[in-house]
Amino acid sequence: MAAVPATRTLRWALAAIAGGLVLAAPFVVTDKYLLRILTFVGINLIMVAGLSLLFGYAGQISLGHAAFYGLGAYTSGFLAKLGVAWPLALVAGVAAAALGGLLLALPSLRLKGHYLAMATLGFGEIMLFFFTETEVITGGSNGLRGIPPAGLGPLVADTPQTKYLLVWAVACVVLLLAANVVRRRPGRALRAIHGSEMAAQACGIDTVRMKVQVFVISAALGGLSGVLYAHYVGFISPSTFTLHYSLVLVTMVALGGMGSLAGAVAGTVLLTMLPYADAIIPGLSRATVELLQDWESDIHGMVLILVMLFMPGGLAGWGRSFLARISVRRARSAGGDA
Amino acid sequence: MGMLSVQGITKRFGGLTAVDAVSFEVHEGTIHAIIGPNGAGKSTAFNLLTGFEKPDAGTVSFEGATITGMRPHRIVRLGLVRTFQNTVLFDDMTVLENVLVGMHVRTRAGFIGSALALPRVRTEERLAAEEAHRLLRLVDLGEVADARAGDLPHGRRRLLEIARALGSRPRLMLLDEPAAGLNNAETAQLAETLRRVRDSGVTIVVVEHDMGLVMDVSDEIVVLNEGRKIAEGPPLLIQKDPAVIEAYLGEEAVDA
Ligand SMILES: Nc1ncnc2c1ncn2[C@@H]1O[C@H](COP(=O)(O)OP(=O)(O)OP(=O)(O)O)[C@@H](O)[C@H]1O
Ligand SMILES: [Mg+2]
Repeated sequence: MAAVPATRTLRWALAAIAGGLVLAAPFVVTDKYLLRILTFVGINLIMVAGLSLLFGYAGQISLGHAAFYGLGAYTSGFLAKLGVAWPLALVAGVAAAALGGLLLALPSLRLKGHYLAMATLGFGEIMLFFFTETEVITGGSNGLRGIPPAGLGPLVADTPQTKYLLVWAVACVVLLLAANVVRRRPGRALRAIHGSEMAAQACGIDTVRMKVQVFVISAALGGLSGVLYAHYVGFISPSTFTLHYSLVLVTMVALGGMGSLAGAVAGTVLLTMLPYADAIIPGLSRATVELLQDWESDIHGMVLILVMLFMPGGLAGWGRSFLARISVRRARSAGGDA
Repeated sequence: MGMLSVQGITKRFGGLTAVDAVSFEVHEGTIHAIIGPNGAGKSTAFNLLTGFEKPDAGTVSFEGATITGMRPHRIVRLGLVRTFQNTVLFDDMTVLENVLVGMHVRTRAGFIGSALALPRVRTEERLAAEEAHRLLRLVDLGEVADARAGDLPHGRRRLLEIARALGSRPRLMLLDEPAAGLNNAETAQLAETLRRVRDSGVTIVVVEHDMGLVMDVSDEIVVLNEGRKIAEGPPLLIQKDPAVIEAYLGEEAVDA
């Protein structure tokens, strides 16, 4: 029993340390390259928070989340270029992604397993085609240039530091909200659906409604993440919103471990930083980094396969057995009366 | 009219009529048993009553409302809950969390309220956890509340499924072979639990092969054979019913 408060304190301590590090980073990190990568980590975290609810908790796979990233990015980028204020462009971007999610979810969440994978994959490809072909809005394969930075009146996030802080402020809020959801009633219902839809229904859960809700939420978060991305880089093109990106996102959740938000965060940090390992590991040779970057997609694919085969619990599974071992040891050293 | 009124329900699977124009009434405050040889249509009947299958004919009404063809979660909301023959728990969740999922219809917190950790939601979560602990104690699972449900031994899994079903605070509970795979001591404990549940105001319909248990706890028995109701009445009469003896002897003759 002593194990429960011990892990809880440990969790809070870890969260506090992580929060401090996140906040301190832009003031300590002088390397612009590293700050840029850390900003991408924050952008991906917003997306993965949603995907963790959908895939990690509810067990519903999506191979098309890059489409929502794109919907958010293009909608907001296009409107901002027309002179629409950023907050409005942001709301429109999120709404467009949520609407796309709803339109896809309504027919396809009655589908199971492979069919849902196929439907979302198809949706991603259709949206990619749309991003490439509707040149008037998206700029076609040349992309959309000159997207203004995020801002509210005189406050404009136009330096690497302010951009970083904006992204991470949003990411922290999103993660906090998601963490609140997963340990309460909706989170339990999502895990129940993952466990057995039949039993979930027998418990009075409207499984279809719940799945549609979580799909729309994850699409909206994908859109939010895309909005921040567009105004961060200032230039977007279809090559960002591909099946490869959708797969990387799924891999982040799987590597982290199903049913664990903390795991998904760890998976996102690891996989986002992997191609830029030289930014954190100083001695890394140029050749190694080039190797990592050249083989990026293959590494992601391999990680996904290895996780599925050898560590179904993901990083979270490791973390849990590690904590369990600590608390057993503690109980023993406390006199073995536990 | 009874609390549950089943009239002429029929279900066909291709050429097979699994449930054939079956009618019966369940009265409030009783324990009702449905018995019959393997393949008699008992589980199918449960599926028809709880919305997991749609009947080809017939109607089911529960406390005056017609529930035929309603989706399962709506039927649970009305107070009619079930368990499964092969015990389906949420294995990766704790024992306590399983019961909390069972309380889904009695709690309200949605995504937004939970995300914002509204005071109303926190209170609800705390009260729900207290109630879940109480239900676990009712079925003697109090001390394993934090165990992973998938790690429980078979007998305790069956009890947990009952506690989870009770989480919705049902008016009527349908149990599909709750004693399957239990040893004598566990079956005795189950009988005790069923009476306790009945006395707390929950009407029970139980499908069961364990005749000792059936004769012990039930007030009324419905006998199905090859989809049809062949007898109905109190335990003492059913034991002597020639049609029932014939159906069961027939089964033994086939088994031999
Ligand atoms: N989904 C289905 N599709 C086709 N046939 C089915 C289906 N479900 C049940 N059946 C058939 O209907 C008949 C009744 O099955 P049911 O499971 O209701 O019997 P039961 O009385 O519960 O038997 P048991 O005591 O073995 O649990 C059986 O012949 C079974 O094979
Ligand atoms: Mg059966």
